[in-house]
Amino acid sequence: MSCDLNHSEEQRQILDTAAALLEESFPVSRSPGEDHGRIGKLAEFGAFALALDEEHGGTGFSLVEEVLLHVLLGRHNVSTAALAAPVAARIAAELGDADLARGIAAGDTIVCAAIPADGKLRLVDAAGARLAVVFDKRRLELIEIADADSQVVIGLGHGADVADTPAETTRRIGASNSAAILDTADLLVSAQLLGIAEATGDLAVSYAAVRRQFGKPIGAFQAVKHHCANIAISAEMLSAQIDLAAIAVRDGRDDAAFQTAAARLLAPRVALANARLCIQVHGGIGFSAETNAHRFLKRAHILRQLGGGAALLDLASPMAPHR
Amino acid sequence: MQLTFSQDDEAFMHAARGWLAKNVPGDRAPYEGQASREFALAWLARCHAGGWAGISWPAEYGGQGLPPERLVLWYEEYVRARAPSVLDCTFVALNHAGPTLIASGTEQQKAFHLPRILSGSAIWCQGFSEPNSGSDLASLSTSAIVDGDELVVNGQKIWTSYADIADYQELLVRTEPGSKRHKGLSWVICDMRAPGVTVRPIRNIAGVSHFAEVFYDDVRIPASSVVGELNEGWRVAMTTLGFERKTAAMGLQLDLSVRVEDLISLAEARPGSAVAERLAELRAEAAALRAMTYRTLFREPATPFDGSLVRLRFAELSQAIHHTAMDILGPDGLIDSHWTHDYLEAYSETIAGGTAEIQRNIIAERILGMPRE
Repeated sequence: MSCDLNHSEEQRQILDTAAALLEESFPVSRSPGEDHGRIGKLAEFGAFALALDEEHGGTGFSLVEEVLLHVLLGRHNVSTAALAAPVAARIAAELGDADLARGIAAGDTIVCAAIPADGKLRLVDAAGARLAVVFDKRRLELIEIADADSQVVIGLGHGADVADTPAETTRRIGASNSAAILDTADLLVSAQLLGIAEATGDLAVSYAAVRRQFGKPIGAFQAVKHHCANIAISAEMLSAQIDLAAIAVRDGRDDAAFQTAAARLLAPRVALANARLCIQVHGGIGFSAETNAHRFLKRAHILRQLGGGAALLDLASPMAPHR
Repeated sequence: MQLTFSQDDEAFMHAARGWLAKNVPGDRAPYEGQASREFALAWLARCHAGGWAGISWPAEYGGQGLPPERLVLWYEEYVRARAPSVLDCTFVALNHAGPTLIASGTEQQKAFHLPRILSGSAIWCQGFSEPNSGSDLASLSTSAIVDGDELVVNGQKIWTSYADIADYQELLVRTEPGSKRHKGLSWVICDMRAPGVTVRPIRNIAGVSHFAEVFYDDVRIPASSVVGELNEGWRVAMTTLGFERKTAAMGLQLDLSVRVEDLISLAEARPGSAVAERLAELRAEAAALRAMTYRTLFREPATPFDGSLVRLRFAELSQAIHHTAMDILGPDGLIDSHWTHDYLEAYSETIAGGTAEIQRNIIAERILGMPRE
């Protein structure tokens, strides 16, 4: 069938295997800042090489499978190392450094994400990382941070590990502004934000089923039920758009940039709105650091800062009127 | 996951584009009354003559019998060509009454009505809601007493769109005296010219009268006009749910992408309206609604409740788009224009066909499995 938006049997298998791995090794209650000890398990699974060329360790899958995988990574708040690695491997491959690309894909070299801020670089989940990808709007730069003089910053609190380093203490390896890599990065970020949007929905719905007040589960009250419905609607909207965008980028369609920019614009709004509603549905315990709701909120704030510089209004719509 | 249209699909799309470019009326559809009826029927008749009516209707009933790929391409071309809104007075016949007859009608009912519907010769309206049965449809009380080979109908319906210009009505009535809720209802075809039917148009907030109250005073309907079994009306009404994802509602959803493009043009013509970020968001949401529309067509299994997600998203996005138009227009929004008209009409979208609140209940209870009240 030429139009089929179902997950194939093969896709289901990868996702089931990945879900089991994440369930076992990446419980949401852990701190992603300490993921460098576990990230090798994802590399071993092939998570970073999924859609790379074979010469860079690729396993013959496409961006569509990679995006589906990153939704699961988002559901487990996995460190930015899992996001930066496939992007960094692509940059290294584009720069012609096949060894580096393979090393990153294999998990031998850990890469984290970095955000430019006031002449400094804000490194996220940098523990154990030797390289970083700087997400500078429509430009991606691969840098070495091994000896970077970085300082942990207390901002969003635990669950988010952020450190500042002066840009001059890092070494530039190379940069990319190729549309294919930028769109890929934006889609992977969007996919992780979707994972957050879905996971916060699941959390809210399951809590609303067990928490009882006035003699019944709070989920029976429309005020709570409608929050959960809103979470589901937003997540479904984002999920449909990400699927379409991933297919468009994979197939090199004319509307790839448009669909990706639309997904990337919606993703942080949906993830943050759902995380907020998730905290609200939980009531007092949602405001405490003892549930996981806040971890998703904080991860969404980090992810929204990565890339996303495409101006949707500057791109041609595939639905432009004929007259 | 694939979204690849075949060469034949592409050829179909180009044929549709060419035909629409030559045939779409240049003038806007009249808002109400006989003029709106004539306009809509003339347009449907033209589509029918061109071989573009009933794209997803089975071929044996005069439709084109085409698969979902063609349907989505047709509606994309349709809205991009700015063809008349699919939500006109032919909507109920083409997208609800017709499919219900196809699913549950007798051969005689089908043979008489389906060709008339598809060729643009008959208008249908829907008689479901009552003054005391809105969201709680199953509480309806309009009665039909069996009298020999006739039913005698007494009661009242309300919010019946196009009742004043319709030929037939799909009428849901209580045929089993004393029955409760979903039981004892029947789905019958009511001739709007039958003695005892009185239509009182209601003016809506946009200032036009395309919906109405309908009163039934000893209206006699032949028993042969019952669709499906007597007292099985609820089941008959539900059989069209599966058809709904393949209806012209898709055209409305896709049309919002075109609306947003128009909104962007409107803002560009009025520098200083400072809504760029809002426009980008609306553009992204319209793109996502299109993606959701594709999902309803190309992902299995489809459940009837998925429709609630898309419908609600459509309704709220439509309202947001029109609200933004009013923001951009500023004082010019106070002057009658199609944006102002459509802005006011859009208020119905979170009410008609199941309020947003009911849709949210359905999403929470049926999709998310949350506890019932």
